[in-house]
Amino acid sequence: MSAGETRRLSVPATDEGIRAALDALEGLWTAQGVSRAVTWPVAVSLDEVLANVVHHALAGRGDSARVELELQLEPGDPPRCELRVEDDGPAFDPLAAIAPDTAAGLDERPIGGLGIELVKRLMDEVHYERKDGRNRLCLVRRLVAMEPEGA
Amino acid sequence: MEIGEERSGRSLVIAPLGRLDSVSSGELERVVVARLDAGERRLAIDMAGVEYVSSAGLRVLLLAAKRLKPPAGALVLCGIGPSVRTVLELAGFMSLFAVEPARPQALARLESTAP
Repeated sequence: MSAGETRRLSVPATDEGIRAALDALEGLWTAQGVSRAVTWPVAVSLDEVLANVVHHALAGRGDSARVELELQLEPGDPPRCELRVEDDGPAFDPLAAIAPDTAAGLDERPIGGLGIELVKRLMDEVHYERKDGRNRLCLVRRLVAMEPEGA
Repeated sequence: MEIGEERSGRSLVIAPLGRLDSVSSGELERVVVARLDAGERRLAIDMAGVEYVSSAGLRVLLLAAKRLKPPAGALVLCGIGPSVRTVLELAGFMSLFAVEPARPQALARLESTAP
């Protein structure tokens, strides 16, 4: 079994930064030979969290604003993935947002808040803390297959 | 992102390829909005080439569904794999869409849509 792998990167708070972070995550899977069939919930969650930071917490700050990431994959059966996302934007706990009504009809359906609700449902653990003037979000998931409810 | 399009009778198929995330969803939205603005009323979105979808992608699907709500039009989703289906279910979106297994069934359903 190969050793665990950690990647640290700092990306600009832009779409290009989100792209770079998702590519780094894919690089981690590829290096460790983990199947995409079990990694997609982590990729979706990272996209949601970064979109939130880039479009809200750090919105309007320009190219100088950055997001610090630590992507960690521990081998095992199943492997365990841990992501840390940090920014120095205003204090914002995305987990405190009110959950959207996922049973509402087409006309009443809002989109705001849906991303973070997905993260909570896709990851095993999600923690937020405000420390040293920074927002720190930690996401953990054991990489097991996630099947549709009807399957 | 690569986005395929196929015309069939009065229907149009739009097929995004790859990750439908917060970055690429804007590209799909531009194509969908442009086609709807041009008057398309029977639309299938084929998700067979989509690796996964995040809420930004769901937003585009919802936008299309609202603009094509019967009797103004018809939208059918098809080619939904396990990851896309799981996200649609977690978001409570499955009940909002007409879904068919693959493109031929989606087109047949659209062509049978009145008027």
